[in-house]
Amino acid sequence: MENKEALDTLHDIKNLMEKSTKFLSISGISSVLVGIYACIGTGVAYNLLNANTSQRLMQICIVALVVLFFSLVTVFTMSYRKAIKVNRNIFTDKSVYRLLWNFFLPLFAGGVLCVSLLWHHHYGLTSSIMLIFYGLSLVNCSKYTYSDIRYLGYAEIFLGLIDSFVVNHALLFWVIGFGLLHIAAGIYFYYKVERRQALFSSNTRVNA
Amino acid sequence: MKEVLENINKAFESKARLGIMSVLIVNESVDFVTLKNLLDLTDGNLASHTRSLEELGYIECRKQFIGRRPNTTFSVTEKGREAFAKHLNALEEFLQNQNI
Repeated sequence: MENKEALDTLHDIKNLMEKSTKFLSISGISSVLVGIYACIGTGVAYNLLNANTSQRLMQICIVALVVLFFSLVTVFTMSYRKAIKVNRNIFTDKSVYRLLWNFFLPLFAGGVLCVSLLWHHHYGLTSSIMLIFYGLSLVNCSKYTYSDIRYLGYAEIFLGLIDSFVVNHALLFWVIGFGLLHIAAGIYFYYKVERRQALFSSNTRVNA
Repeated sequence: MKEVLENINKAFESKARLGIMSVLIVNESVDFVTLKNLLDLTDGNLASHTRSLEELGYIECRKQFIGRRPNTTFSVTEKGREAFAKHLNALEEFLQNQNI
């Protein structure tokens, strides 16, 4: 009996420490959806490149921004709904602000750098820089959410660095990094979290 | 066996106090409202627990005004950190002895 009490206490401590520093209402399905948007976006961009119209750079930028917009909306709404389920308000939650700040800071720097490169007509490194800075963002914010997110970050950085050495395959790397990796990570995350929760509930049943 | 139990800190016996310490250990500072929501305590309840922890010298309390509203933030002291670590170790040791 005493034993169970001590175990429960340790479990409570761990829970509170996690709850007060990390935002854990992130869903794997939203990552899969983001990956699918990226794949669709790449398909559209590929067709635009082949069409060879005069305004194709503008059009591709618009496609990229539309993909970004839908991705952010999807992630926010799904996280919001998941947070409500566990009775957490994301607007008063300090951990949300820390997560967002640490995620958007490198991403913003990379975004401005990309705009500057396009401005100067250096198109070659855009996809590589997007991948590298996105990876850095993920690694940077992994302290404030599920720490496994950093592995996705490492993969994006690695892919971005390879991309910087390869010429003329920007779209291919882009679709692997933002499309396939997101889908794979989302599926992995979904099953891993589900399994962990299932394991936990069976454990508590044994203890009780 | 007795030695182990000696290290279990009486101040942390209440669930609320242990909760306050757990949150403060991993955060630089936490304000009153956040702490209240995290631990699901009432204003008066949290105030009395934080006061007793402050009197023991385990936590520090800082009061300031944001605009016209008072804002209280708490942070853990070095003494509190040591006491909490000792308490956790004692709990762990207790568990290990039970398992053997």
